[in-house]
Amino acid sequence: MAVLEVRDLRARYSARGPEILKGISFDVEGDDFFAIIGPSGAGKSTLIRCINRLVNPTSGSIVFNGHDVTKMSSRDLRLVRRDIGMIFQEFNLIDRMSVMDNVLAGRLGYTGNLRTLFRMFPRKDIDHALHLLDRVGLTDHVDKRADELSGGQRQRVGIARALMQDPKLMLLDEPTSALDPKISREIMALVKEMAQELNVPCLCNIHDVKLAMEFCNKMIGLQDGMTMFAGPTEQMNEAKLDEIYAMEVL
Amino acid sequence: MDMRTDEIMARRTRRQRNLAIVGTVLFGLVVWSVDVTVVQDTDWARIGSVGEVLEAAGQFGGVDFSLFPDLLGPTIETLLIACLGTALGVILCVPATWFGAMNITPFKPVTYPIARLMMTLSRSVHEIVWALFFVAVFGLGAMAGVFAIAMRSIGFIAKMSAEAIEDIDYGPVEAMRATGANGFQVMLFAILPQVLPQVIGTVIFEWEINIRRSAVLGLVGAGGLGLVFFRQMNTFNYYGVTSVIIAILAIIFLGEAISHAIRRRMI
Repeated sequence: MAVLEVRDLRARYSARGPEILKGISFDVEGDDFFAIIGPSGAGKSTLIRCINRLVNPTSGSIVFNGHDVTKMSSRDLRLVRRDIGMIFQEFNLIDRMSVMDNVLAGRLGYTGNLRTLFRMFPRKDIDHALHLLDRVGLTDHVDKRADELSGGQRQRVGIARALMQDPKLMLLDEPTSALDPKISREIMALVKEMAQELNVPCLCNIHDVKLAMEFCNKMIGLQDGMTMFAGPTEQMNEAKLDEIYAMEVL
Repeated sequence: MDMRTDEIMARRTRRQRNLAIVGTVLFGLVVWSVDVTVVQDTDWARIGSVGEVLEAAGQFGGVDFSLFPDLLGPTIETLLIACLGTALGVILCVPATWFGAMNITPFKPVTYPIARLMMTLSRSVHEIVWALFFVAVFGLGAMAGVFAIAMRSIGFIAKMSAEAIEDIDYGPVEAMRATGANGFQVMLFAILPQVLPQVIGTVIFEWEINIRRSAVLGLVGAGGLGLVFFRQMNTFNYYGVTSVIIAILAIIFLGEAISHAIRRRMI
């Protein structure tokens, strides 16, 4: 069974605004590294934000592990969000907090208000955070403030924070577009390695087609909110790419 | 002769005449207000000659050193009123700030106006008037002063803090929501760290002003140096008044030094 089933997803930001997503459907299975490609403004970011309802879709269904996310109360939604890790283009770290606190923030969904107030995370969380920081290569930066790190290091903190949630699915919103090509490849490799090790499927917005071809096994190509291509990465070719990115050329 | 010259001449004459009218009216108003507020309202017999005026002012030209030991307690009390009042004000600011920041106010049509009302009320009522109110409520003493300072502080701190919250970067907010954090946790982790430096700066600034404010609250019986000031005045011990002013200046300088040091460390 698919971890995530998206059916006929439609979204618009205001009642009279343009429709950003015009009926998108796809499935993400247990071991997928699934890419969403397409030119700027195609609706990639909106699509990925609909999955954990940072953006509310107007119609369609998003079934995650058997539960329809679109019809959930905010309480149930928070429980679902705990199971979905997210990595952002601009990292979205809390600059004035330490690397450790940033990673521990991934546990907020499991932490009570009082503990949050005093940042009293349980011992096993701190253990786990240290382990993850070792794995993403930030052993020497645990106590630094997040804003002291370089872009690549900051995204590694973002990865550790997302994995800290013990996610059943990872959402990656352009994880590499604020990074240089070499670091981008390192970050993608790290995410893929960790995802395979922990058995977490990934859904990844990415406009760099080369990176997508290299790391992802399936992809959909969006153009103006519609699916132009859907299938295994091997079926993607130059002609189809040209079609997807045609609007950008114009 | 050019017709246009006539026209320009006429226009200039009109302008001169209008200026003269406005000037005369303004001058009349000034004369009238000086007459009403100064000439008629002053006890000219009490003032006497210029020499007597200078002599009266000269009564303050000395320091009553014997008063200083007695000033220590009230000086400390004044400082404490400022500190406690600012602290209480900060606590009262929490709801005012939360409700008053357009982007996080829980239910805009109701909570936002409540916050704006708190801010406006706090700032438009003078600290002496707040003190009079709290002296009537709690009786004479420093507690009335603490509450007066707290109420007077809400407006500025809450307004600045709410504006800081309205300017935050939403990235961390989105990231925290994505982890499954609730609203309270989002505030603690994504919003508070972003606005804290600015809020602390504002609070210190307000604290410094509150030292000045608490120094005069005693005039209406709300504790601190103001009461001593009032007593020296009433007993015609003008050198003592100067002593009190020196004590007030001392704590104001102290406050400025501390606030300067803290703010420099924060940048």
